[in-house]
Amino acid sequence: MSKEEIKNNQQDQNTWHQITLENTDRRGALKKMTAGLIAGVGIASTSCSVFSEDHEKEASQMSWDEFFKKNYKIMSDDERIQTVQRLESLYEKKTGNTINISHQGPMEDVLFGYAFNISKCQGYMDCVNACIEENNQDRDSQMQYIRIHQIEKGHGFNFEKAEDNYYNEVPANNHFYIGTQCFHCENPPCVSVCPTEATWKEKDGIVVVDYDWCIGCRYCSASCPYDGRRFNWGQPHVPEEEVNKNQHYLGNRLRKKGVMEKCTFCIQRSRSGENPACVDACPTGARKFGNLLDPKSEIRWILENKKVFRLKEDLGTEPKFWYYMD
Amino acid sequence: MNSFKLIASLVLFTGLVSCSSNHEKEHQYHGNFEKIKALEVDSISYPVNSLDLIGQTTLVEVKTEEVTFYIPERKSSIKSFKCSECHTKSIPELKASNLTGKRAHWNIELNHATPDVLMCNSCHPTQNLDNLKSNLNADIDFNQSYKACAQCHSSEYKDWLGGAHGKRVKGWVNPRISQTCVGCHNPHSPKFETRLPSRLNTKKIEERR
Amino acid sequence: MKVFIQFFKDSIEEVTSGSKAYHLWMAFLTLVMLIGAYCYYIQVDQGLIVTGMSDGVSWGLYISNFTFLVGIAAAAVMLVLPSYVFKDIDFKQAVLIGEGLAVSALVMCLAFVVVDVGGPANLWHVIPGIGILNFPNSMLSWDIIVLNGYLFINITIPLYILINIYQNKEPNKKVYLPGVFISVFWAVSIHMVTAFLYQGLQARPFWNTALLGPRFLASAFAAGPALIILILTVINKFTLFKVEDKTVNKIAIIVTVAAQINIIMLISELFKEFYFPTHHSISAQYLFFGLEGKTALVPWIWTSITLNIVATVMLTIHKIRTNKKFLIIACIILFIGIWIEKGFGLIVPGFIPGQWGEITEYTPSFIEIGVTLSIWALGAFIFTILAKTGIAVETGKLRFVKK
Repeated sequence: MSKEEIKNNQQDQNTWHQITLENTDRRGALKKMTAGLIAGVGIASTSCSVFSEDHEKEASQMSWDEFFKKNYKIMSDDERIQTVQRLESLYEKKTGNTINISHQGPMEDVLFGYAFNISKCQGYMDCVNACIEENNQDRDSQMQYIRIHQIEKGHGFNFEKAEDNYYNEVPANNHFYIGTQCFHCENPPCVSVCPTEATWKEKDGIVVVDYDWCIGCRYCSASCPYDGRRFNWGQPHVPEEEVNKNQHYLGNRLRKKGVMEKCTFCIQRSRSGENPACVDACPTGARKFGNLLDPKSEIRWILENKKVFRLKEDLGTEPKFWYYMD
Repeated sequence: MNSFKLIASLVLFTGLVSCSSNHEKEHQYHGNFEKIKALEVDSISYPVNSLDLIGQTTLVEVKTEEVTFYIPERKSSIKSFKCSECHTKSIPELKASNLTGKRAHWNIELNHATPDVLMCNSCHPTQNLDNLKSNLNADIDFNQSYKACAQCHSSEYKDWLGGAHGKRVKGWVNPRISQTCVGCHNPHSPKFETRLPSRLNTKKIEERR
Repeated sequence: MKVFIQFFKDSIEEVTSGSKAYHLWMAFLTLVMLIGAYCYYIQVDQGLIVTGMSDGVSWGLYISNFTFLVGIAAAAVMLVLPSYVFKDIDFKQAVLIGEGLAVSALVMCLAFVVVDVGGPANLWHVIPGIGILNFPNSMLSWDIIVLNGYLFINITIPLYILINIYQNKEPNKKVYLPGVFISVFWAVSIHMVTAFLYQGLQARPFWNTALLGPRFLASAFAAGPALIILILTVINKFTLFKVEDKTVNKIAIIVTVAAQINIIMLISELFKEFYFPTHHSISAQYLFFGLEGKTALVPWIWTSITLNIVATVMLTIHKIRTNKKFLIIACIILFIGIWIEKGFGLIVPGFIPGQWGEITEYTPSFIEIGVTLSIWALGAFIFTILAKTGIAVETGKLRFVKK
């Protein structure tokens, strides 16, 4: 075990407390018989060499188990480790490359919040680029979580008059810029409407999707007032050399067709203390991220000292994404 | 009688819907601020430390009454510091002496405020180029260049100390490490330049055709 | 048990034999279904990208038809109440047709949902026990429960009655009457729940109106019985099963009243949207007048309104309504009008403009249309089988013979 792994494991032990785990395995007898076997296989596959026939058998067994696994939300810690190992080794078998999928839980006493400085955003869209690269979004459909709206001054925040797909010198004369993405609402309508609980709010406030549990009904996307959700209409595709190999189960791991996805505040980064990619990429410092439960954090200073507002506040969704001006 | 039964069952049905929608395991708060106030913690220790995230960078402490945080050290990244190693003569003398050899930063143009407000020697004292200077000619260390900026940009300075202005380096965890003013702004031309956006989504154009 | 096996054997025999027209009709439906199956294969293979839907308009023709057919299913059974409970003999004959229609409409509803989801293989995730059903929070989970429950009720009641008649026994009222009551109450619920599916979304002001549920019911009680009138006419013509004019006239009155109420609600809605248009009226503006030169739905909705008004006027005038020919024309017009209004006239504008004002229009792709047609063919296929068996039993052609 490398240092990394040890570190990860320790963190996991410290930070699991979110969900009451269900002991009863509800996937039936089939799953029960194979679960133990596969737990071993996942670990063994990295160290032992096996015959190619066995290899294929093993891969199909793994895909089988992947198909019949539980919703991540109710998996035990062990089950989470097993599925992560299966996904890692399936990827390795398919491409020959190794990836690292984290299953790190939320940190204690953390509730993520985000603030966006409208005075500072210049509309460069560096955040959009960084987000796509970090989160392995489908290149074919040019999926983007973030949208930057270019609004002419003198109309107020009139999104109907905004252009969110501009290509002109920015900042353009007499225009201002405002970014939208998933606001990680405290009362997320998307979570209520999901028929399979494939999307939920984590303890640190991040609204996540279990891509393997989603059935693709798109009810969540209809219920989101902020256009925060994206659907994989076709088979998503990221060139192998562009794949971000540092992944999280609930974050940027590769998706499949027919499932919903969304911004996760870069869960693979934020849960290990880093800023989301958009915050890091913004050259003007318009994007602010931090822990709302820390009274000394910058985000709290902004909320308490600037005149902040949120979009469509009247809908009662309580976004954790605030806007402010200098 | 029968129609009454029908109505009664309808009422019962809708009642069921409204009751059950309130059912939630997690404790419910009336909005973010109530939740924040209920759960906030005065001193938090995170399992990760931002110093680990940034690797080998030397930092400078910024300390005021309200906050303490760190900014990247500046002097070691200035090419051929100390300045006085080259600037053996004062600038007017240097200009007059018709020097040959490598010229370092002769092409800097000052695009910051107007010439009646700011000139090179407003910040760089011609007598001692190893430091910056304040309006009242006090020395300002290059590592604390924000103090020079703060003289005019007091509201930006206040926002920067608080965290509304500026940018964090790498992580959001403690201790706070932020960019200093010159980490993002070129002090000689502090305004961000206009350019084309980094990306155009051609699929979206197709879709909305 | 023996009776059941015999019943199924007999019914299979019944549905596989018939006139030339009958065979042609079934062959035609099978062909459409096969074409649709191929379209669906392409859709499963390549993903929903082959449809006209996008992140802008993420529900389209499938969900539109689903919504409309829930109404048909609900309305069909509303004929049950007067027949069984109020002992109105007139209706009794229509009931069997109604329940058959409900069953086939429900099968179509479920099929439309299945073809609409991105991961049909994952649908077992909604089954409680092996999966998770987000009940009661998600209105979709309510819908899954009520639709399947309704399907169950509507299969068991007619089956019980038919089996008894098949054996020359009188069906026991104590057994089926509670079922009838439940099914009537359930019929209202499936439609209200489906309306709540949309009505509960604060993100979509076009749907987020208290009128949506009642309007769903009114339009359903107009379109559903209208379809039954049409079907009864066909059955009267092609089979030995005769329904009296008296019954048809009674159903026509139901259609008329429902269509009138529907028009009143439409006026109320239009008034609210356009007397003092707010930011929330913008979807209605798009639907009725178009926005920024984008007018894809405008001709459709005005066609629908015209059809609705013409049909309602025709039905309201006593002389026209009692004229068989005009009644049929009015029913066809009304059915089409409501299909447009409640199908994509309701679903698509809910998404336009998008949450940040952008306008992405929607046009169904050929594959989508193919799948849709094939599901309608499936519904017609199932209905024909059910009706043929039912009629055979009712007319006494099919009877249990101890061998």
